[in-house]
Amino acid sequence: MKILLIEDEMELAKAISTYLSGEQYRCELACSYDEGMSKMNQYSYDCIILDLTLPGGDGLKILETLKQSGKDDGVIIISARGSLEDRLQGLTIGADDYLSKPFHLSELAARIYAVIRRRQLGSRNLIRQGALMVDVLARIVTVNGYEITLTRREFDLLVYFISNKNKVISKNAIAEHLSGDFADMLDNYDFIYGHIKNLKKKLSEFGGDNYLKTIYGTGYKWEV
Amino acid sequence: MNKLLNRSLNKLLIYAAIVLCCSIPIYYFIFSALLQYELDEHNIILTERAGREDSYLIIVTVTILTVLFSSLLLIGLVLLNRRLSRELWRPFYDSLTKIKDFDLNKHQAVAFTPTDIAEFAELNDNLDKLITSSISAYNQQKKFTENASHELQTPLAIMQSKLDLFLQEENLSSHQHQLIRELSAAVTRTSRINRNLLMLAKIDNKQFEQQEIINLSGLINDLMELLGDHQSDKNIKLETNITQDVSVRANRVLVEVLLQNLFSNAYRHNIQEGRLLIRLDPSTIVIANSGKEALDSDQLFKRFTSVKGSGTGLGLAIVHETCASLRWSVRYAFENQKHYFYVRFI
Repeated sequence: MKILLIEDEMELAKAISTYLSGEQYRCELACSYDEGMSKMNQYSYDCIILDLTLPGGDGLKILETLKQSGKDDGVIIISARGSLEDRLQGLTIGADDYLSKPFHLSELAARIYAVIRRRQLGSRNLIRQGALMVDVLARIVTVNGYEITLTRREFDLLVYFISNKNKVISKNAIAEHLSGDFADMLDNYDFIYGHIKNLKKKLSEFGGDNYLKTIYGTGYKWEV
Repeated sequence: MNKLLNRSLNKLLIYAAIVLCCSIPIYYFIFSALLQYELDEHNIILTERAGREDSYLIIVTVTILTVLFSSLLLIGLVLLNRRLSRELWRPFYDSLTKIKDFDLNKHQAVAFTPTDIAEFAELNDNLDKLITSSISAYNQQKKFTENASHELQTPLAIMQSKLDLFLQEENLSSHQHQLIRELSAAVTRTSRINRNLLMLAKIDNKQFEQQEIINLSGLINDLMELLGDHQSDKNIKLETNITQDVSVRANRVLVEVLLQNLFSNAYRHNIQEGRLLIRLDPSTIVIANSGKEALDSDQLFKRFTSVKGSGTGLGLAIVHETCASLRWSVRYAFENQKHYFYVRFI
Protein backbone atom coordinates (compact mmCIF):
# COMPACT_ATOMS: atom_id res chain seq x y z
CA MET A 1 0.00 0.00 0.00
CA LYS A 2 1.27 3.41 -0.99
CA ILE A 3 1.50 6.30 1.37
CA LEU A 4 2.59 9.87 0.67
CA LEU A 5 4.10 11.71 3.58
CA ILE A 6 4.17 15.49 3.16
CA GLU A 7 6.27 16.79 6.04
CA ASP A 8 9.12 19.30 6.07
CA GLU A 9 10.68 18.24 9.34
CA MET A 10 13.22 15.66 8.10
CA GLU A 11 13.78 13.86 11.41
CA LEU A 12 10.09 13.34 11.98
CA ALA A 13 9.54 12.28 8.38
CA LYS A 14 12.36 9.74 8.64
CA ALA A 15 10.93 8.27 11.84
CA ILE A 16 7.43 8.00 10.40
CA SER A 17 8.55 6.40 7.17
CA THR A 18 10.86 3.93 8.94
CA TYR A 19 8.03 2.88 11.22
CA LEU A 20 5.51 2.49 8.41
CA SER A 21 7.82 0.93 5.82
CA GLY A 22 8.04 -2.80 5.98
CA GLU A 23 5.58 -5.47 5.17
CA GLN A 24 2.52 -3.25 5.01
CA TYR A 25 3.31 0.11 3.50
CA ARG A 26 5.51 1.81 0.94
CA CYS A 27 6.20 5.35 2.00
CA GLU A 28 7.05 8.26 -0.31
CA LEU A 29 8.32 11.52 1.04
CA ALA A 30 7.69 15.12 0.02
CA CYS A 31 9.47 17.86 1.95
CA SER A 32 7.81 20.99 0.63
CA TYR A 33 4.53 22.38 -0.54
CA ASP A 34 5.48 22.23 -4.24
CA GLU A 35 6.86 18.72 -4.05
CA GLY A 36 3.79 17.53 -2.17
CA MET A 37 1.45 19.21 -4.62
CA SER A 38 3.14 17.70 -7.68
CA LYS A 39 3.34 14.18 -6.25
CA MET A 40 -0.27 14.36 -5.15
CA ASN A 41 -1.27 15.44 -8.68
CA GLN A 42 0.79 12.84 -10.54
CA TYR A 43 0.14 9.69 -8.58
CA SER A 44 -2.55 8.25 -6.45
CA TYR A 45 -2.04 7.01 -2.90
CA ASP A 46 -3.95 4.93 -0.41
CA CYS A 47 -3.32 7.53 2.22
CA ILE A 48 -1.67 10.94 2.34
CA ILE A 49 -0.20 12.16 5.63
CA LEU A 50 -0.22 15.90 5.47
CA ASP A 51 1.54 18.48 7.62
CA LEU A 52 -0.08 21.92 7.50
CA THR A 53 2.86 24.27 7.97
CA LEU A 54 5.09 23.67 4.97
CA PRO A 55 7.79 25.75 3.31
CA GLY A 56 6.14 27.34 0.28
CA GLY A 57 2.51 27.17 1.29
CA ASP A 58 -0.34 26.00 3.46
CA GLY A 59 -0.97 22.25 3.57
CA LEU A 60 -4.71 22.85 3.58
CA LYS A 61 -4.36 24.09 -0.05
CA ILE A 62 -3.02 20.68 -1.09
CA LEU A 63 -6.05 19.06 0.53
CA GLU A 64 -8.37 21.49 -1.27
CA THR A 65 -6.75 20.81 -4.64
CA LEU A 66 -6.97 17.06 -4.07
CA LYS A 67 -10.68 17.26 -3.31
CA GLN A 68 -11.37 19.62 -6.23
CA SER A 69 -9.72 17.25 -8.70
CA GLY A 70 -12.04 14.51 -7.49
CA LYS A 71 -9.34 12.11 -6.24
CA ASP A 72 -10.24 9.90 -3.34
CA ASP A 73 -6.91 9.36 -1.60
CA GLY A 74 -7.38 9.17 2.15
CA VAL A 75 -5.93 12.15 4.05
CA ILE A 76 -4.72 12.41 7.63
CA ILE A 77 -3.59 15.82 8.79
CA ILE A 78 -0.72 15.97 11.27
CA SER A 79 -0.16 19.42 12.63
CA ALA A 80 1.60 21.37 15.32
CA ARG A 81 -1.02 24.07 15.08
CA GLY A 82 -3.54 21.82 16.73
CA SER A 83 -6.13 24.54 17.14
CA LEU A 84 -9.78 23.70 16.97
CA GLU A 85 -10.39 25.82 13.88
CA ASP A 86 -7.65 24.07 11.93
CA ARG A 87 -9.07 20.74 12.93
CA LEU A 88 -12.59 21.67 11.91
CA GLN A 89 -11.46 23.34 8.70
CA GLY A 90 -9.37 20.32 7.72
CA LEU A 91 -12.20 17.89 8.37
CA THR A 92 -14.72 20.11 6.56
CA ILE A 93 -12.54 20.27 3.46
CA GLY A 94 -12.42 16.50 3.46
CA ALA A 95 -9.60 15.15 5.58
CA ASP A 96 -10.38 11.74 7.04
CA ASP A 97 -8.63 12.36 10.32
CA TYR A 98 -6.58 14.85 12.28
CA LEU A 99 -3.71 14.15 14.65
CA SER A 100 -1.93 16.92 16.51
CA LYS A 101 1.77 16.77 17.27
CA PRO A 102 3.30 15.21 19.26
CA PHE A 103 1.77 11.77 18.70
CA HIS A 104 2.77 8.13 19.04
CA LEU A 105 3.76 6.41 15.81
CA SER A 106 1.48 3.53 16.75
CA GLU A 107 -1.43 5.96 16.95
CA LEU A 108 -0.65 7.27 13.47
CA ALA A 109 -0.42 3.70 12.15
CA ALA A 110 -3.80 2.87 13.68
CA ARG A 111 -5.40 5.91 12.06
CA ILE A 112 -3.87 5.08 8.67
CA TYR A 113 -5.08 1.51 8.96
CA ALA A 114 -8.61 2.68 9.73
CA VAL A 115 -8.65 5.17 6.83
CA ILE A 116 -7.38 2.61 4.32
CA ARG A 117 -9.79 -0.09 5.45
CA ARG A 118 -12.71 2.29 5.30
CA ARG A 119 -11.84 3.24 1.74
CA GLN A 120 -10.88 -0.10 0.29
CA LEU A 121 -13.42 -2.41 1.67
CA GLY A 122 -16.44 -0.21 1.97
CA SER A 123 -18.92 -1.88 4.21
CA ARG A 124 -17.26 -5.33 4.17
CA ASN A 125 -14.61 -4.67 6.73
CA LEU A 126 -13.19 -8.05 7.67
CA ILE A 127 -9.76 -8.66 9.10
CA ARG A 128 -8.53 -12.25 9.04
CA GLN A 129 -5.65 -13.41 11.15
CA GLY A 130 -5.22 -17.18 11.54
CA ALA A 131 -8.16 -18.46 13.48
CA LEU A 132 -9.21 -14.91 14.25
CA MET A 133 -11.75 -12.93 12.25
CA VAL A 134 -12.69 -9.34 13.06
CA ASP A 135 -15.60 -7.47 11.54
CA VAL A 136 -14.58 -3.92 12.31
CA LEU A 137 -17.84 -2.27 11.36
CA ALA A 138 -20.19 -4.68 13.11
CA ARG A 139 -17.66 -5.02 15.96
CA ILE A 140 -17.88 -8.81 15.90
CA VAL A 141 -14.91 -11.07 16.66
CA THR A 142 -14.88 -14.79 15.97
CA VAL A 143 -12.23 -17.37 16.91
CA ASN A 144 -12.44 -20.66 14.99
CA GLY A 145 -15.96 -19.71 14.08
CA TYR A 146 -17.05 -19.04 17.66
CA GLU A 147 -18.15 -15.53 18.36
CA ILE A 148 -16.58 -13.97 21.44
CA THR A 149 -17.98 -10.98 23.28
CA LEU A 150 -15.51 -8.18 23.86
CA THR A 151 -16.07 -4.96 25.75
CA ARG A 152 -15.64 -1.71 23.84
CA ARG A 153 -12.16 -1.24 25.30
CA GLU A 154 -11.07 -4.77 24.49
CA PHE A 155 -12.30 -4.45 20.92
CA ASP A 156 -10.49 -1.11 20.45
CA LEU A 157 -7.35 -2.69 21.84
CA LEU A 158 -7.56 -5.64 19.47
CA VAL A 159 -7.91 -3.44 16.39
CA TYR A 160 -5.11 -1.22 17.67
CA PHE A 161 -2.78 -4.20 18.02
CA ILE A 162 -3.68 -5.61 14.63
CA SER A 163 -3.05 -2.27 12.93
CA ASN A 164 0.40 -2.21 14.54
CA LYS A 165 1.29 -5.83 13.99
CA ASN A 166 4.87 -6.87 14.71
CA LYS A 167 5.56 -3.55 16.42
CA VAL A 168 6.26 -2.93 20.06
CA ILE A 169 3.67 -0.51 21.42
CA SER A 170 4.40 1.27 24.66
CA LYS A 171 1.97 1.22 27.54
CA ASN A 172 1.40 4.95 27.51
CA ALA A 173 0.60 4.90 23.79
CA ILE A 174 -2.05 2.28 24.54
CA ALA A 175 -3.44 4.20 27.52
CA GLU A 176 -3.63 7.39 25.47
CA HIS A 177 -5.38 5.53 22.70
CA LEU A 178 -7.98 4.19 25.10
CA SER A 179 -8.84 7.25 27.11
CA GLY A 180 -7.17 10.15 25.36
CA ASP A 181 -5.97 13.12 27.34
CA PHE A 182 -7.64 11.87 30.45
CA ALA A 183 -5.38 8.81 30.86
CA ASP A 184 -2.47 11.12 30.35
CA MET A 185 -3.65 13.48 33.06
CA LEU A 186 -4.11 10.67 35.53
CA ASP A 187 -0.57 9.60 34.80
CA ASN A 188 -1.40 6.00 35.49
CA TYR A 189 -1.22 3.32 32.85
CA ASP A 190 -1.79 0.32 35.05
CA PHE A 191 -5.46 0.09 34.12
CA ILE A 192 -4.56 -1.35 30.71
CA TYR A 193 -3.25 -4.55 32.35
CA GLY A 194 -6.77 -5.57 33.25
CA HIS A 195 -8.13 -4.99 29.76
CA ILE A 196 -5.23 -6.83 28.11
CA LYS A 197 -5.46 -9.75 30.50
CA ASN A 198 -9.17 -10.15 29.71
CA LEU A 199 -8.58 -9.83 25.97
CA LYS A 200 -5.91 -12.53 26.05
CA LYS A 201 -8.15 -14.81 28.05
CA LYS A 202 -11.09 -14.41 25.70
CA LEU A 203 -8.98 -14.97 22.59
CA SER A 204 -7.43 -18.17 23.92
CA GLU A 205 -10.74 -19.54 25.18
CA PHE A 206 -11.69 -20.96 21.77
CA GLY A 207 -8.18 -21.91 20.78
CA GLY A 208 -6.99 -18.64 19.29
CA ASP A 209 -3.21 -18.47 19.05
CA ASN A 210 -1.46 -16.24 21.46
CA TYR A 211 -0.33 -13.38 19.23
CA LEU A 212 0.07 -10.90 22.04
CA LYS A 213 3.52 -10.77 23.66
CA THR A 214 4.48 -8.73 26.68
CA ILE A 215 7.73 -6.86 26.18
CA TYR A 216 9.40 -6.41 29.59
CA GLY A 217 7.50 -3.73 31.49
CA THR A 218 7.49 -1.47 28.49
CA GLY A 219 4.67 -2.55 26.26
CA TYR A 220 3.11 -5.18 24.04
CA LYS A 221 3.64 -6.66 20.62
CA TRP A 222 1.13 -8.38 18.33
CA GLU A 223 3.27 -10.98 16.62
CA VAL A 224 2.12 -12.62 13.42
CA MET B 1 -10.56 55.83 56.46
CA ASN B 2 -11.26 59.54 56.18
CA LYS B 3 -11.73 61.43 52.99
CA LEU B 4 -9.06 64.01 52.36
CA LEU B 5 -11.33 67.10 52.52
CA ASN B 6 -13.27 65.83 55.55
CA ARG B 7 -10.05 65.70 57.46
CA SER B 8 -9.31 69.42 56.89
CA LEU B 9 -12.97 70.29 57.44
CA ASN B 10 -13.03 68.60 60.83
CA LYS B 11 -10.11 70.74 62.02
CA LEU B 12 -11.81 73.87 60.70
CA LEU B 13 -15.05 72.99 62.44
CA ILE B 14 -13.36 72.38 65.79
CA TYR B 15 -11.45 75.64 65.52
CA ALA B 16 -14.63 77.57 64.68
CA ALA B 17 -16.50 75.95 67.58
CA ILE B 18 -13.73 76.83 70.09
CA VAL B 19 -13.56 80.45 68.91
CA LEU B 20 -17.32 80.84 69.13
CA CYS B 21 -17.50 79.25 72.60
CA CYS B 22 -14.75 81.54 73.85
CA SER B 23 -16.59 84.52 72.45
CA ILE B 24 -19.60 83.96 74.78
CA PRO B 25 -17.95 85.21 78.05
CA ILE B 26 -16.22 88.04 76.16
CA TYR B 27 -19.57 89.25 74.77
CA TYR B 28 -21.02 88.95 78.24
CA PHE B 29 -18.35 91.10 79.87
CA ILE B 30 -18.50 93.72 77.16
CA PHE B 31 -22.28 93.95 77.25
CA SER B 32 -22.30 94.08 81.09
CA ALA B 33 -19.67 96.82 81.07
CA LEU B 34 -21.61 98.83 78.47
CA LEU B 35 -24.83 98.44 80.46
CA GLN B 36 -23.12 99.51 83.68
CA TYR B 37 -21.66 102.53 81.90
CA GLU B 38 -25.08 103.58 80.55
CA LEU B 39 -26.72 103.11 83.96
CA ASP B 40 -24.05 105.23 85.66
CA GLU B 41 -24.36 107.92 82.96
CA HIS B 42 -28.07 108.26 83.54
CA ASN B 43 -27.82 107.81 87.28
CA ILE B 44 -30.04 104.80 87.33
CA ILE B 45 -29.64 102.59 90.28
CA LEU B 46 -30.89 99.06 90.00
CA THR B 47 -31.84 96.87 92.83
CA GLU B 48 -29.57 93.88 93.26
CA ARG B 49 -32.29 91.59 91.98
CA ALA B 50 -32.92 93.66 88.83
CA GLY B 51 -29.12 93.70 88.21
CA ARG B 52 -28.98 89.92 88.45
CA GLU B 53 -31.92 89.57 86.08
CA ASP B 54 -30.18 91.82 83.57
CA SER B 55 -27.02 89.74 83.69
CA TYR B 56 -29.01 86.58 83.14
CA LEU B 57 -30.78 88.20 80.23
CA ILE B 58 -27.46 89.14 78.66
CA ILE B 59 -26.03 85.67 79.12
CA VAL B 60 -29.09 83.98 77.57
CA THR B 61 -29.28 86.41 74.63
CA VAL B 62 -25.57 86.18 73.87
CA THR B 63 -25.62 82.39 74.12
CA ILE B 64 -28.66 82.01 71.85
CA LEU B 65 -27.24 84.39 69.28
CA THR B 66 -23.84 82.76 69.29
CA VAL B 67 -25.28 79.28 68.98
CA LEU B 68 -27.55 80.42 66.17
CA PHE B 69 -24.83 82.06 64.13
CA SER B 70 -22.28 79.43 64.83
CA SER B 71 -24.66 76.71 63.65
CA LEU B 72 -25.33 78.75 60.52
CA LEU B 73 -21.61 79.09 59.99
CA LEU B 74 -20.86 75.43 60.61
CA ILE B 75 -23.72 74.09 58.45
CA GLY B 76 -22.66 76.48 55.71
CA LEU B 77 -19.10 75.26 55.93
CA VAL B 78 -20.13 71.62 55.73
CA LEU B 79 -22.42 72.19 52.76
CA LEU B 80 -19.90 74.34 50.93
CA ASN B 81 -17.19 71.79 51.55
CA ARG B 82 -19.32 68.98 50.25
CA ARG B 83 -20.11 70.85 47.06
CA LEU B 84 -16.57 71.98 46.55
CA SER B 85 -15.12 68.58 47.09
CA ARG B 86 -17.57 67.02 44.74
CA GLU B 87 -16.67 69.44 41.99
CA LEU B 88 -12.99 69.75 42.65
CA TRP B 89 -12.39 66.06 43.01
CA ARG B 90 -14.71 64.86 40.32
CA PRO B 91 -11.92 64.15 37.78
CA PHE B 92 -10.07 62.25 40.48
CA TYR B 93 -13.01 60.00 41.35
CA ASP B 94 -13.71 59.60 37.66
CA SER B 95 -10.22 58.27 37.01
CA LEU B 96 -10.43 56.11 40.12
CA THR B 97 -13.60 54.37 38.88
CA LYS B 98 -11.99 53.73 35.52
CA ILE B 99 -8.88 52.19 37.06
CA LYS B 100 -11.04 50.03 39.29
CA ASP B 101 -12.86 48.67 36.24
CA PHE B 102 -9.64 48.03 34.37
CA ASP B 103 -8.91 44.38 33.65
CA LEU B 104 -5.63 43.37 32.04
CA ASN B 105 -7.30 40.32 30.52
CA LYS B 106 -9.72 42.42 28.51
CA HIS B 107 -6.90 44.17 26.64
CA GLN B 108 -8.76 47.46 26.75
CA ALA B 109 -6.92 50.70 27.36
CA VAL B 110 -8.57 53.19 29.73
CA ALA B 111 -9.92 56.45 28.24
CA PHE B 112 -9.65 59.15 30.92
CA THR B 113 -11.97 62.17 30.78
CA PRO B 114 -9.97 65.30 29.91
CA THR B 115 -9.65 67.76 32.81
CA ASP B 116 -8.46 71.38 33.03
CA ILE B 117 -6.87 70.90 36.44
CA ALA B 118 -3.14 70.56 35.94
CA GLU B 119 -2.49 68.05 38.75
CA PHE B 120 -5.21 65.68 37.62
CA ALA B 121 -4.27 65.97 33.97
CA GLU B 122 -0.74 64.99 34.90
CA LEU B 123 -1.98 62.09 37.00
CA ASN B 124 -4.15 60.84 34.13
CA ASP B 125 -1.29 61.12 31.65
CA ASN B 126 0.95 59.02 33.83
CA LEU B 127 -1.72 56.47 34.60
CA ASP B 128 -2.32 56.18 30.90
CA LYS B 129 1.37 55.52 30.24
CA LEU B 130 1.49 52.94 33.01
CA ILE B 131 -1.56 51.08 31.72
CA THR B 132 -0.44 51.12 28.11
CA SER B 133 2.94 49.69 29.01
CA SER B 134 1.32 47.00 31.22
CA ILE B 135 -0.93 45.95 28.37
CA SER B 136 1.94 45.73 25.93
CA ALA B 137 4.12 43.79 28.40
CA TYR B 138 1.25 41.42 29.07
CA ASN B 139 0.64 40.86 25.37
CA GLN B 140 4.30 40.26 24.69
CA GLN B 141 4.51 37.71 27.46
CA LYS B 142 1.38 35.96 26.21
CA LYS B 143 2.63 35.89 22.64
CA PHE B 144 5.93 34.51 23.86
CA THR B 145 4.33 31.62 25.75
CA GLU B 146 2.16 30.82 22.78
CA ASN B 147 4.99 30.91 20.25
CA ALA B 148 7.31 28.95 22.50
CA SER B 149 4.80 26.18 23.01
CA HIS B 150 4.04 26.05 19.29
CA GLU B 151 7.70 25.80 18.46
CA LEU B 152 8.16 23.02 21.00
CA GLN B 153 5.51 20.81 19.42
CA THR B 154 7.73 19.70 16.55
CA PRO B 155 10.86 18.76 18.53
CA LEU B 156 8.60 16.97 20.99
CA ALA B 157 7.02 15.07 18.12
CA ILE B 158 10.51 14.08 16.94
CA MET B 159 11.53 12.89 20.40
CA GLN B 160 8.34 10.91 20.80
CA SER B 161 8.59 9.25 17.39
CA LYS B 162 12.29 8.40 17.78
CA LEU B 163 11.51 6.76 21.10
CA ASP B 164 8.71 4.75 19.52
CA LEU B 165 11.17 3.73 16.84
CA PHE B 166 13.90 2.87 19.32
CA LEU B 167 11.47 0.50 20.99
CA GLN B 168 11.35 -1.53 17.76
CA GLU B 169 15.07 -2.41 17.97
CA GLU B 170 15.75 -6.11 18.34
CA ASN B 171 17.47 -7.51 21.41
CA LEU B 172 17.09 -4.58 23.75
CA SER B 173 18.19 -5.43 27.27
CA SER B 174 15.86 -4.94 30.19
CA HIS B 175 18.06 -2.06 31.34
CA GLN B 176 17.64 -0.39 27.98
CA HIS B 177 13.92 -0.93 28.21
CA GLN B 178 13.89 0.77 31.55
CA LEU B 179 15.76 3.76 30.12
CA ILE B 180 13.25 4.01 27.28
CA ARG B 181 10.37 3.92 29.75
CA GLU B 182 11.88 6.68 31.84
CA LEU B 183 12.65 8.83 28.82
CA SER B 184 9.17 8.23 27.53
CA ALA B 185 7.60 9.35 30.80
CA ALA B 186 9.61 12.58 30.69
CA VAL B 187 8.63 13.28 27.09
CA THR B 188 4.98 12.64 27.89
CA ARG B 189 5.13 15.00 30.83
CA THR B 190 6.80 17.73 28.79
CA SER B 191 4.17 17.31 26.09
CA ARG B 192 1.46 17.64 28.66
CA ILE B 193 2.89 20.82 30.16
CA ASN B 194 3.23 22.20 26.68
CA ARG B 195 -0.30 21.27 25.74
CA ASN B 196 -1.60 22.90 28.91
CA LEU B 197 0.32 26.10 28.20
CA LEU B 198 -1.18 26.18 24.72
CA MET B 199 -4.60 25.61 26.24
CA LEU B 200 -4.12 28.58 28.57
CA ALA B 201 -2.98 30.74 25.66
CA LYS B 202 -6.05 29.76 23.66
CA ILE B 203 -8.36 30.56 26.58
CA ASP B 204 -6.62 33.93 26.89
CA ASN B 205 -7.13 34.54 23.19
CA LYS B 206 -10.83 33.79 23.56
CA GLN B 207 -10.75 30.98 21.03
CA PHE B 208 -13.60 29.15 22.71
CA GLU B 209 -16.56 31.43 22.17
CA GLN B 210 -18.92 29.06 20.40
CA GLN B 211 -21.74 27.93 22.67
CA GLU B 212 -24.06 24.97 22.65
CA ILE B 213 -26.39 23.14 25.02
CA ILE B 214 -24.38 20.62 27.02
CA ASN B 215 -25.82 17.80 29.06
CA LEU B 216 -23.69 18.07 32.18
CA SER B 217 -25.08 14.90 33.71
CA GLY B 218 -24.10 12.91 30.63
CA LEU B 219 -20.66 14.46 30.48
CA ILE B 220 -20.00 13.70 34.14
CA ASN B 221 -21.22 10.12 33.74
CA ASP B 222 -18.85 9.62 30.79
CA LEU B 223 -15.93 10.90 32.82
CA MET B 224 -16.86 8.70 35.75
CA GLU B 225 -16.80 5.73 33.44
CA LEU B 226 -13.25 6.62 32.38
CA LEU B 227 -12.35 7.15 36.00
CA GLY B 228 -13.82 3.75 36.86
CA ASP B 229 -10.87 2.19 35.04
CA HIS B 230 -8.48 3.68 37.56
CA GLN B 231 -10.49 3.57 40.73
CA SER B 232 -9.17 0.20 41.84
CA ASP B 233 -5.52 1.33 41.73
CA LYS B 234 -5.76 3.28 44.97
CA ASN B 235 -8.86 1.50 46.26
CA ILE B 236 -10.72 4.76 46.04
CA LYS B 237 -14.31 4.76 47.20
CA LEU B 238 -16.46 6.68 44.77
CA GLU B 239 -19.58 8.41 46.08
CA THR B 240 -21.81 10.09 43.56
CA ASN B 241 -25.02 12.01 43.56
CA ILE B 242 -25.78 13.15 40.04
CA THR B 243 -29.03 14.92 39.25
CA GLN B 244 -30.07 13.68 35.82
CA ASP B 245 -30.66 15.92 32.79
CA VAL B 246 -28.90 19.02 34.02
CA SER B 247 -28.07 21.04 30.93
CA VAL B 248 -26.21 24.27 30.49
CA ARG B 249 -25.40 26.52 27.55
CA ALA B 250 -21.65 26.91 27.25
CA ASN B 251 -18.57 26.07 25.21
CA ARG B 252 -18.08 22.30 25.08
CA VAL B 253 -14.27 22.31 24.95
CA LEU B 254 -14.00 24.54 28.00
CA VAL B 255 -16.46 22.51 30.04
CA GLU B 256 -14.73 19.25 29.13
CA VAL B 257 -11.31 20.61 29.96
CA LEU B 258 -12.59 22.00 33.26
CA LEU B 259 -14.17 18.73 34.36
CA GLN B 260 -11.26 16.57 33.18
CA ASN B 261 -8.86 18.66 35.22
CA LEU B 262 -10.99 18.62 38.35
CA PHE B 263 -11.63 14.89 38.07
CA SER B 264 -8.04 13.94 37.42
CA ASN B 265 -6.89 16.20 40.26
CA ALA B 266 -9.28 14.58 42.69
CA TYR B 267 -7.96 11.20 41.61
CA ARG B 268 -4.25 12.00 41.50
CA HIS B 269 -4.11 13.80 44.81
CA ASN B 270 -6.28 11.30 46.60
CA ILE B 271 -4.82 9.14 49.33
CA GLN B 272 -4.81 5.34 49.41
CA GLU B 273 -8.25 4.04 50.35
CA GLY B 274 -9.46 7.61 50.05
CA ARG B 275 -12.88 8.83 49.06
CA LEU B 276 -13.91 10.66 45.94
CA LEU B 277 -17.16 12.57 46.03
CA ILE B 278 -18.96 13.85 42.94
CA ARG B 279 -22.19 15.77 43.20
CA LEU B 280 -24.21 17.58 40.57
CA ASP B 281 -27.28 19.65 41.34
CA PRO B 282 -29.05 22.14 39.06
CA SER B 283 -26.63 24.95 39.87
CA THR B 284 -23.42 23.46 41.24
CA ILE B 285 -20.85 20.75 40.61
CA VAL B 286 -19.05 19.58 43.74
CA ILE B 287 -15.93 17.44 43.53
CA ALA B 288 -14.13 16.37 46.68
CA ASN B 289 -11.33 14.00 47.60
CA SER B 290 -9.74 12.89 50.84
CA GLY B 291 -6.67 14.81 51.90
CA LYS B 292 -4.46 15.44 54.88
CA GLU B 293 -4.22 19.21 55.18
CA ALA B 294 -5.76 22.32 53.65
CA LEU B 295 -4.12 23.85 50.60
CA ASP B 296 -3.13 27.50 50.38
CA SER B 297 -6.19 28.92 48.70
CA ASP B 298 -4.39 32.13 47.69
CA GLN B 299 -1.78 30.28 45.67
CA LEU B 300 -3.89 27.33 44.60
CA PHE B 301 -5.09 28.64 41.24
CA LYS B 302 -1.82 30.24 40.15
CA ARG B 303 0.45 28.71 37.53
CA PHE B 304 3.27 26.44 38.63
CA THR B 305 2.65 26.91 42.35
CA SER B 306 1.47 23.45 43.26
CA VAL B 307 3.69 21.10 41.30
CA LYS B 308 3.60 17.80 43.11
CA GLY B 309 4.94 14.51 41.84
CA SER B 310 4.47 14.29 38.12
CA GLY B 311 1.84 17.01 37.77
CA THR B 312 2.16 19.89 35.36
CA GLY B 313 1.40 22.61 37.89
CA LEU B 314 -1.13 23.99 35.46
CA GLY B 315 -4.27 21.95 36.15
CA LEU B 316 -5.88 24.29 38.64
CA ALA B 317 -4.75 27.37 36.71
CA ILE B 318 -6.68 25.92 33.77
CA VAL B 319 -9.66 25.26 36.06
CA HIS B 320 -9.56 28.87 37.18
CA GLU B 321 -9.24 30.33 33.69
CA THR B 322 -11.88 28.11 32.11
CA CYS B 323 -14.29 29.09 34.88
CA ALA B 324 -13.51 32.78 34.32
CA SER B 325 -13.99 32.35 30.60
CA LEU B 326 -17.30 30.54 31.09
CA ARG B 327 -18.33 33.17 33.67
CA TRP B 328 -18.72 30.39 36.21
CA SER B 329 -17.25 30.55 39.69
CA VAL B 330 -15.00 28.07 41.45
CA ARG B 331 -14.36 27.92 45.19
CA TYR B 332 -12.04 25.77 47.26
CA ALA B 333 -12.65 24.61 50.83
CA PHE B 334 -11.13 22.07 53.17
CA GLU B 335 -13.83 20.39 55.25
CA ASN B 336 -13.88 17.11 57.18
CA GLN B 337 -10.43 16.07 55.92
CA LYS B 338 -11.52 16.57 52.32
CA HIS B 339 -10.58 19.01 49.56
CA TYR B 340 -13.78 20.43 48.10
CA PHE B 341 -14.11 22.24 44.80
CA TYR B 342 -17.44 23.94 44.21
CA VAL B 343 -18.19 25.06 40.67
CA ARG B 344 -21.25 27.25 40.31
CA PHE B 345 -22.52 27.41 36.77
CA ILE B 346 -25.70 29.45 37.15
